[in-house]
Amino acid sequence: MRNNLIALLVFAVLAASPVAIGGYWTGQLTAYLVYGLLAMSLSLVWGYGGILCFGQAMFFGIGGYIMAVLTKGMILPELTSSYLGLIAAMAGSALFALALGYFLFAGRGISGAYLAIITLAMALVLERLMNNWYALGGYNGLLNVPPIKLNFFGASFELWDRMPTFYAVLAVVALVYFLVTWLLSSAYGLRLTAIRTHPDRLASLGYNVLTIRLSVFALSAAIAGLAGAIFVTLDGFASPTLIGFTLSTEALIWVAIGGKEMLLAAFLGAILTRTAESWLSEIFGDYWILILGIAFMISVVLLPKGLLATPLEKLTGSKRKKTR
Amino acid sequence: MLEIENLAAGYGEALVLRDFSCRIAPGKVTALMGRNGMGKTTLMKTIMGLIRVKSGRIMFDGTAIEKLPTHHISRIGMGYVPQGREIFADFTVAENLRLSLLGHEGGNVLPIEQIYDWFPILKERAEQRAGTFSGGQQQILAIARALIGGPKMLLLDEPTEGIQPSIVHDIGAQLSRIARETGLSILIVEQNVDMVRTLADEVLFMENGAIQERCDIETLRQDDSLLHRYLSV
Repeated sequence: MRNNLIALLVFAVLAASPVAIGGYWTGQLTAYLVYGLLAMSLSLVWGYGGILCFGQAMFFGIGGYIMAVLTKGMILPELTSSYLGLIAAMAGSALFALALGYFLFAGRGISGAYLAIITLAMALVLERLMNNWYALGGYNGLLNVPPIKLNFFGASFELWDRMPTFYAVLAVVALVYFLVTWLLSSAYGLRLTAIRTHPDRLASLGYNVLTIRLSVFALSAAIAGLAGAIFVTLDGFASPTLIGFTLSTEALIWVAIGGKEMLLAAFLGAILTRTAESWLSEIFGDYWILILGIAFMISVVLLPKGLLATPLEKLTGSKRKKTR
Repeated sequence: MLEIENLAAGYGEALVLRDFSCRIAPGKVTALMGRNGMGKTTLMKTIMGLIRVKSGRIMFDGTAIEKLPTHHISRIGMGYVPQGREIFADFTVAENLRLSLLGHEGGNVLPIEQIYDWFPILKERAEQRAGTFSGGQQQILAIARALIGGPKMLLLDEPTEGIQPSIVHDIGAQLSRIARETGLSILIVEQNVDMVRTLADEVLFMENGAIQERCDIETLRQDDSLLHRYLSV
């Protein structure tokens, strides 16, 4: 309950922030919100599902490309609905995750570092693929992705200006946050916690471990796909960097710094790291990466639960169940 | 109830069970005794599908289960209380039970009141973290967790290991009562002779991956030479 209050407060502060930070930063913050959504998806699969996915940007990129291809009318010129694009992006990412996850988790399954390496390799493969897939823009990516067009009750509205776009994205992010939080507090959350801590103990209680793993992997991929789909409409641009190694690792750092076992901390981790990046890189240039690296190490060594999750947990008084 | 024929199973290349056969009667409590390393736990895990069968057959209540995945075996009525209890230490007692209930959703589950009636301590401490329980209490929880799924047969792997004697007797007496009342079949791996005497109807002695001898509990009560032969080091 208190957890939800804090989250409401965070979203309220975010909603009020455009007044204080002005147009340019509101535009930046919109993109950070989308990164925050990606971070949430990684927190769900890694922190809650116990699946260390080192290539989360795969799903982000797949969602982005599907959205771009569909709304640019490259598949069917008359079918460019943004809604359809968003749904297809989520479904496409989820389906890809199901297929990949089946190979990863079926049978004895792969876990830990091996899983991380394979997902990382997959992200690299996809990045190479997109770099060379000329029909989809190749190295240059796809330009002129149209902004999201909202249709309701016959009226239509394009998310082009900064303010409406910001609030629309914030609404989606908050909605996803509360839906996932609700899901995690249900019986599904209990199953996930059990499967994260002792997957071997669940089968003899009647659980199909593969199905649960696949479900969380696909759900997380759908959220990442949604984030990617929104992202390409912000700049109107989809490129191979969205799908690959760098973004995957960055997302991992945001989530580790924020706190993987707390959705809100992971979300804020992305926003704060990106904000810090734009400020600090102006002051320190490339040395800023050093600062990020140090922050990452501090978080891993001293506060393994995350720089943000530790104080947030104190604030909410909630303690997550830990591995034993 | 459970018929095993010419079973071979083990870890990788190393076979622990070779040509193992036995029949467990329905509605009876059967104890499996033997020294460490004779394959008792391997047998339990193989029945549960946790270890892959190399060859042979396991029939449970008319179904061949030797190729089924573990969750499927659990859902057709095989309850399992593993060695070391394996409860979820950071879950509350109620959450541990709920987890098992959810796993058997849509099946023949028992009402939680029935469980609380059998084991009142679980009701008293429903909101306590299971990790703070004593060994005996954790064992009771592990048994309750298996029972709540409404199994036809219960596999118990060394339930008295590391538990104080007074609780051992209570658990034995309570399980015996439950088996009589519900007609539950139990296969128990046990080294504790008191537990076996309290609970079992029949005793199987296992050595080198095969059953060497079987006797009913009366025989064992009168003559403990079998115990010396198969248990003493």
